[in-house]
Amino acid sequence: MKSRDVEIRNPSGLHARPAVLFVRQATTFKSSVTLQNLATGKPPVDAKSLIAVLTAGVLTGTTVRIAADGEDETQAVAHLKAAIEGGLGEPVG
Amino acid sequence: MTIRIEASAAAPGVAIGPAWRYPRRPTQEETAAEHDRQRSSRGAVRPKLTKAQSVAAVTDAAHRAADQLTALADRLSEAGRGDDAGIFGAQAMMATDTALLDEAIRRVRAGMDPVEAVAESATAAAEMLAAVDDELLSARSADIRDVGARIGRILRGEQPELPERPSIAVADDLPPSVTAEIPAGFLLGVALAGGSRTSHAVILARGLGIPAVVGAAGLLEAVDAATDAAVAATDAAVAAGSPAPLAIAVDGSRGEILLEPSDDDIGIFRGRADELAKRTRRAAALRDRPGATADGERVALVANIGTPDDAPRALEAGAEGVGLFRTEFLYMKRLTPPTEHEQMLAYRRVMTAFGPDRPVVIRLADVGGDKGIPYLGLPAEADPFLGGRATRLADRPHDLMRRQLRAIWQAGALAEVTPHAMAPMVATVSDVKLLLQLRDEARDDLRSKKLPCAGKMVTGIMVETPSAAIIAAELAQMVDFFSIGTNDLTQYLMAADRANASLSSLQDALHPSVLRTIAGVVRDADSAGIPVAVCGEMAGDPAGALILVGLGVDELSADAGSLDGIRAALAAVTRAELDGLSTRALASVDAESVRAIVEPYLARLTG
Repeated sequence: MKSRDVEIRNPSGLHARPAVLFVRQATTFKSSVTLQNLATGKPPVDAKSLIAVLTAGVLTGTTVRIAADGEDETQAVAHLKAAIEGGLGEPVG
Repeated sequence: MTIRIEASAAAPGVAIGPAWRYPRRPTQEETAAEHDRQRSSRGAVRPKLTKAQSVAAVTDAAHRAADQLTALADRLSEAGRGDDAGIFGAQAMMATDTALLDEAIRRVRAGMDPVEAVAESATAAAEMLAAVDDELLSARSADIRDVGARIGRILRGEQPELPERPSIAVADDLPPSVTAEIPAGFLLGVALAGGSRTSHAVILARGLGIPAVVGAAGLLEAVDAATDAAVAATDAAVAAGSPAPLAIAVDGSRGEILLEPSDDDIGIFRGRADELAKRTRRAAALRDRPGATADGERVALVANIGTPDDAPRALEAGAEGVGLFRTEFLYMKRLTPPTEHEQMLAYRRVMTAFGPDRPVVIRLADVGGDKGIPYLGLPAEADPFLGGRATRLADRPHDLMRRQLRAIWQAGALAEVTPHAMAPMVATVSDVKLLLQLRDEARDDLRSKKLPCAGKMVTGIMVETPSAAIIAAELAQMVDFFSIGTNDLTQYLMAADRANASLSSLQDALHPSVLRTIAGVVRDADSAGIPVAVCGEMAGDPAGALILVGLGVDELSADAGSLDGIRAALAAVTRAELDGLSTRALASVDAESVRAIVEPYLARLTG
């Protein structure tokens, strides 16, 4: 199992549009992938479920923990962290 | 007989047509059949599926829903409706989401009926999302319900309900899947019992240029009762199976609904529709011209915007710049303060959109105890509007104003424009000294670090406290411009809370005490040779706009949707008329008399 922490800097947080892109990328990996909102302390949620990712309520400025478990866990975590830092289709500071 | 229902205006326009009720009410036969079905055992009515068959049916229906939604998204995307396409792309993903589909399958395995299992799972997921403390995210719960309803329809073998002829939609609220699938030209207007100005159906209506009203209490009950009465009165029509649809008229500019309008009412509504169309054509024809009176005196007409996304609409409405760029959106709904870089990107985007010849005035953040911003750690105050906010927080450790000024200096340099900024809630000379000091320190720091920094910043203040208005002569010597915020100025002059509806008569900016205060501010600004703008709601109201220009205000800043109206009002009067108008208004004793004085000038526009 691998995990990385990354700050969400999208202006409106992980709202529908960036969340769709994030989930779409997460589903390309064989490993199980989770996302945890470290600001709320709630348990990790399935990163391949859009409904779960939206319900995690990730606002801008929040740090999330991306964790993956499986054969491609290293690539999954690195790729998803880079995707978030790249803004998931939105301009970020 | 005409039934009149009050509602809130949501999208302008007037429409008359048959009512299309969503969702459709079950007919008497259907209600009876449903009653029978519930009385008899379920298995007797339809063949009972095995659990494995039920799981397969739910899975198949969810995938078919996803396919339909993907096709819908593709179609909208090709039609250039990217934002709507995004909604259905997300819905397609939700249809087979584990949080919905796996939950439904779990319920089916436990013995629940497939349709019920999907409905319960969708409701549970929607309620969880609705509980998220963020408006943008919790609003998506409607999408989950909508997807659940679609899967349920597929399981029951039903078609979505859509109007069969051009109609006015009557509903509590219209889900996005329904509005998107109504064929072009079949939606004449929207009347919602619930809903809000940000409902999907209302945004769609504005985009299509059709009228919408929301918050029409009692609408559905009245429509259903009128339909029942009409059915009872025309037994023959019922026998033929096609009772005539109920006629309805909607005025989305005034917020009015008429059921079964009389011929006279229809005449009145048609007249309003013609008038509106004429006025829209006339006003739009003036857009290429800068704001001016009939005899050519220039008055700059600029826009109030709340986010960078508002910029295109303001430009389209012919805004000659931005008179008030509210920046609170950068600070709200987050756990840490915005970075300088993030702010710079937002400011630069608007500056670039408007270019070097149309200045963008950035208002420094007007935040305080009322905004509930966690990272500021502000103490709760008994009366935040008279408390620590805006400039009064400038010397606190979180450095909000310093960082914002740095971002503005950089944005101006990168957008290659002269940045304009103004501070809200100024009351004293020392407030302004602090503003100028922070501005210069921000500049010097950027320059010493060789970071991008504009050559100069045009710096102004909002005049919205009685104190600032009284010492305007001194303040005018220190800054480059004034912008009068008439909403707050009225609230503080009248000592009447803006949010207190029972005091709304004291919230009238046309009151002579407000007008005399503004006249004094303009006189002091003129002596110092600096321009005066007004950015409150008064500037966007044609009556207020005429009086303000009469008082000598140089620039009016209003929401983009108000610019056509004030441009047309100004173009219909001369400078001499405005002088006479303002002299008489200043000599009045109450707001009603002021309104009566302006009325003849506004009547010219409709004549």
